[in-house]
Amino acid sequence: MPLRTPGGPAPALRGPQHQPLLPGAPESLHPALWRAHQLARPRQAVAASGHAELDAQLPGGGWPAGVLSELLLPHAGVGELRLLAPALAALQRQQRSVMWFDPPAAPCAWALSALGIDVRQLVVVHSRAGLSSAARPLLPAADILWALEQALKSGHLGAVLAWLPARLPADALRRLQLAAQAHDGPAFLLRDAQMRSQPSAAPLRLLLGSAGPDLLQVTLLKRRGPPLAQPLTLALAPVLSAPALARALRGRLPAPGATEPAAARRSAFPL
Amino acid sequence: MLWLALHLPLLSLEAFCATLPAAAAQRPVVLLSEHRITHVNRAAAERGLRPGIKRSTALALAPELLIAEGHAGRDAAALQAVAHAALAYTPAVTLHGAQTVLLEIQASLRLFGGLAALQQRLAAAVAPLGHRVRSAAAPTALGAALLAQWHPAKRAGRSEQGDLIAGPHVTDLSALQTLLDGAPVWLLGPGRDHWEALQGMGLQTLSDLRQLPRAGLARRFGEGLMGDLDRALGLQADPRLWVELPAVFESRLELYTRAENSEQVLSGAAVLLARLVAWAQARHGRVAAFTLAMLHERQRQTTRPATELRVELAEPALDAAHLQLLLRERLARLVLAAPTLELRLHCRHLVAGHAPNGELFPTHAGAAEGLTRLLERLRARLGDAQVQRLLPVADHRPERASLAVPAQGDGLRGPAPPLPAPAAAGWALPLPLHRPAWLLPEPLPLPERDAQPLLEGRPLQLVSGPERIEAGWWDGTPTLRDYFIAQAEDGSLVWIYRGRLPGVVGEVNWFLQGRFA
Repeated sequence: MPLRTPGGPAPALRGPQHQPLLPGAPESLHPALWRAHQLARPRQAVAASGHAELDAQLPGGGWPAGVLSELLLPHAGVGELRLLAPALAALQRQQRSVMWFDPPAAPCAWALSALGIDVRQLVVVHSRAGLSSAARPLLPAADILWALEQALKSGHLGAVLAWLPARLPADALRRLQLAAQAHDGPAFLLRDAQMRSQPSAAPLRLLLGSAGPDLLQVTLLKRRGPPLAQPLTLALAPVLSAPALARALRGRLPAPGATEPAAARRSAFPL
Repeated sequence: MLWLALHLPLLSLEAFCATLPAAAAQRPVVLLSEHRITHVNRAAAERGLRPGIKRSTALALAPELLIAEGHAGRDAAALQAVAHAALAYTPAVTLHGAQTVLLEIQASLRLFGGLAALQQRLAAAVAPLGHRVRSAAAPTALGAALLAQWHPAKRAGRSEQGDLIAGPHVTDLSALQTLLDGAPVWLLGPGRDHWEALQGMGLQTLSDLRQLPRAGLARRFGEGLMGDLDRALGLQADPRLWVELPAVFESRLELYTRAENSEQVLSGAAVLLARLVAWAQARHGRVAAFTLAMLHERQRQTTRPATELRVELAEPALDAAHLQLLLRERLARLVLAAPTLELRLHCRHLVAGHAPNGELFPTHAGAAEGLTRLLERLRARLGDAQVQRLLPVADHRPERASLAVPAQGDGLRGPAPPLPAPAAAGWALPLPLHRPAWLLPEPLPLPERDAQPLLEGRPLQLVSGPERIEAGWWDGTPTLRDYFIAQAEDGSLVWIYRGRLPGVVGEVNWFLQGRFA
């Protein structure tokens, strides 16, 4: 899929934030100022995402630090970890730890280390099960919100990934956003794609979806900059070998599953 | 020799107030001895209560008055904590009377950079214990104690550092003598008994005493009075017994009211934790674990066993606020069987070693320590099993290949697990990934239609495989599976397998094992 960049004749892979500043331009007055057709320049350092096409569209050229970034997924396993892994691995190479909160399934240590993530510097925090039956009635996500806030406020982590439940109190995200200001690194909230219509305090919101085998479709729902109409398609770290990929693509082109002859399938996978 | 005296004029009152719940500390409080008031707190003084008035008068003035008796054991425990705090700065510490701690500091002056700097450190060390302290320095032990007790504020420049009021500071005997000449006679311990007789003879100050013939005075008032005077002025030797640090910390606090919730327990425990930190500081160690026992009152002739709460620290610490925070989280998870009346704090696990340096700029060591504390806080609240690290295990069965173990505090610096070298850049992976990042806790059975497994009602397209895993016959969980990578309808990749257990030959059974994220 061709990459679309706003800003007309700019070469591919170069976003609007790379245009040189003209002297006396309003955006040179203050770092918080930017024109409607430009991307903002974040004051804090950003962490490069490792995907050049995505970096070109993110303000500052990477995942923002000290603020929340929301990733909305239709279901777990569309390629979200392969999207984030390069940034997490780069942070861990600087001896900074990564903490995950309530992942949707058990993470596989071998797969993570194949993605470049050092599992020694990874802490996984689970909320307590069966909390609602305890003596005190608590919010469904009380544990994870508390732990996440503590982790963000401590400022000692490199990156934070939290899988939040669907229904959250309205002030919870704002509270997390305030806590994230003390956090020196990216903070990702992974939520259900149904939440895209709900307002959120996170300044960066991305809708992820699968675009095919080893391909990820990223829609920028919200960023500090002009809206991007066309979704990006990123190539992920490959799971499939070349013949398998060809087979997968062949399977996708017609209506999947229905028209493929059963004989061919049987010969491909002798039982 | 240079002695520093720390005098705690309000010790009895402060020791009592420490046993009160936080809400009651604002009420007027008086201590009573033989039906007369001996100590009043600020709120009581504002209502016109003074030491010396009777109990009934006091109740008429302030009906909501909280009246208690002084308790020598309680005072002694509080004074001992001050002595422990002082032991961090000199090995020679002794108690004088019920309200004064004496420190021999001549040898410590150089190390700590002079008297003023030492007093500042002492003030900071004593402050968490919550006492008002008056200090004075003099070349004799008794002289310093008398100066701190009498506190001739007008003569010496006084400076206040928090709750420590620095009093006069004299370094030679003649200056001490001139200063003490104006001190009232009752300051000397034995002089208190003869106060009326001495007053009747017109002997008001120590200089009056010194001008009279010694033999006659000794015959009338005993050798004790003259001996004290001599020791104060340095004319007679003054041997002392030093306070020794116990090897095991043990302190108790009897609460004034029943503590029914964790906040009340915590406010009492804070006092004990401050004492614990003073003790650990004097032993030049850091606390690795401590036990808080909450004793319950007898109910219907049966004694309940005390509730014990053991707090272990991943990283030994010497920070009362941090210890208190851990205790708060642990208490929040605890359900008390009955209200508690008495708290006991016990500590025998001390790690010798220097305290970490304060750092101006954030460093890696500082970050690692902060992370350890964060993990400790999370574990204290959520439980040890909820904070995990991943450990790769050399096993082909996916459900056993990755182990989640509780993250101990030092886990992040542990030995390297047997891992392949991670790819240098996130992109340049040497091989295609062949294990999914998400593994389902339980394999999900998939229905089948036309020899094709279905996920959420849609057929899955097998794109890679089979990868046969046949393992586990040696430990009783035989696994015979053919794994495939399959493509779901939206293009995401899943990892499924077909069981090949001998009992179900011919019957194809598909399971979803994981998802490639």
